[in-house]
Amino acid sequence: MTVFALIIINKAGGLIYHRTFHEGGLNKISTNDYLVLAGTFHGVHAITARLNPIPQQINRNSASSAGIMTRPEPPSGLEVLESENFRLQCFSTLTGIKFLLFTDTTQTNVDLTMRRVYEMYTDYVMKNPFYQLEMPVRCELFERKLTSYIREVNNR
Amino acid sequence: MSYYFAIIGTKDNPLFEYEFGTSKQGGDGQPRFSEHARHFNQFIIHSSIDIVEEVQWTNGQLYLKGIDKVFNNYISCFMTGGNVKFLLLHLPPHTGSSPAAPSSAAAAAQAAASNRSSTSIGANPGSAQTDEAVKNFMTEVYDNYVKAIMSPFYKVNMEIKSPVFRQRVAAAGRKYL
Amino acid sequence: MAHLAPNKPSSGKESAGLRYPTNGKTIYHRPLNRSKTAELSQASFAYLFSEMVSYAQRKVTGIQDLEKRLNNQGHPIGLKLLDLLLIREPPRSQARPLNIITLLHFIKINLWQHLFGRQADRLEKSSDPEAQDEYMIIDNEPLVNAFISVPKEMSQLNCAAFVAGIIEGVCDGAAFPARVTAHTVGTKDEGEMWPGKTVFLVKFQPEVLEREALIGKA
Repeated sequence: MTVFALIIINKAGGLIYHRTFHEGGLNKISTNDYLVLAGTFHGVHAITARLNPIPQQINRNSASSAGIMTRPEPPSGLEVLESENFRLQCFSTLTGIKFLLFTDTTQTNVDLTMRRVYEMYTDYVMKNPFYQLEMPVRCELFERKLTSYIREVNNR
Repeated sequence: MSYYFAIIGTKDNPLFEYEFGTSKQGGDGQPRFSEHARHFNQFIIHSSIDIVEEVQWTNGQLYLKGIDKVFNNYISCFMTGGNVKFLLLHLPPHTGSSPAAPSSAAAAAQAAASNRSSTSIGANPGSAQTDEAVKNFMTEVYDNYVKAIMSPFYKVNMEIKSPVFRQRVAAAGRKYL
Repeated sequence: MAHLAPNKPSSGKESAGLRYPTNGKTIYHRPLNRSKTAELSQASFAYLFSEMVSYAQRKVTGIQDLEKRLNNQGHPIGLKLLDLLLIREPPRSQARPLNIITLLHFIKINLWQHLFGRQADRLEKSSDPEAQDEYMIIDNEPLVNAFISVPKEMSQLNCAAFVAGIIEGVCDGAAFPARVTAHTVGTKDEGEMWPGKTVFLVKFQPEVLEREALIGKA
């Protein structure tokens, strides 16, 4: 069980973070290719989100009949992509940031790992006064905490 | 017994002042300073700051007790952690009218009051009882002073203008002195 | 200041322009000790502090200027905390600090406990004979820096300058004027364990040492 890599895409589809944790799991591609990958995935994700078959209308009706105004669940779009050699899990936050984890196909509890990574992002990136929103993530503490956490997951 | 209370900032600037009389032994809480003495009080308080500055480094207590006596005026001092001084001048009743000797009805009432209160704290400025009463008064004012400086709009050495603070000081005066 | 302040506190002129809270309770109605053991969410502080740093960064001329501004933000807090912490002491041990060591212990123990829920890690005196006016308060991982990564181009900066300002406020308030600066020292072998280790360098003004010598003699 191995976590290969993490990619973070901002809400405009720009790559703001990419990191490989395990050499050999995935082929090395250039940073430029990562940018293209991020942009492409962003587009595919947007299209899959619109393919969502659940009609919005029903949602609204059920909410109003209950007397409570609830926000309809946003269409989620692509969540998991599996290939023979790796599994890609996508988590999209309410603010439109997407976290992409590339793991081994046998990896379990990816949801949990994703949650921890998201938590670290909110702590060490969002609470950092020197981080500018939507810009590439360059936070030493995030880097350090992420490394030690993924190392722990990969050695489990 | 008449009291003049002043809070002095770190740059020897006045932050707050208040005059009152004793409320013990049937006192009406009104000060009995003569017009002349009222102006003179400020000089006395100001001159005693020098003594405070000597005493403050030999005694780490907040309440420095009676530190000065000018004619019949007794001065007690309380020092906050932030080097702000609370100074209380007390003038015992039998000398209350001596400096300018006003022949008013107030002076007569004063004289009557002084006969009544010969055993009160006011008549014995040096006694341990008085000391304790002044200490209690100072402690209560300190409590309110700390609340005053906790206000985000208050900066060190600003005049304390709050009417609530003034009420609180008056209440402490009524309660202990 | 007007000399003849009215004895009747509730004159209309004085209360004009003052607005009371709707429940009529002012700061004077709140007991000082109620929030003594209260704790604050670290996340909310982290967001607030992050905004404070961003605010201080506006139109800043350099790292030193930025540290100066953070220091200035902390200074009034120190001045006020000194009295608050003193009044919260039990009456027996309620005493103004009269010498440098008492003052620094007060900072290391009382101030740190109040602000960060623990004591500072170490207190040291400078071993340099040329710098007898310098003392060091050491914190292995300052709470204010918990989520902050300083960019490489600003490596000189330590946002704990804000805490340094609070310490400076306490020293100034207690009549021990000093300059306090924060320095990151997480290097070499210790750096692995405490990468954010910070030294608060307290440099007292010459008159403080002069007075200290005089009091010591007496």
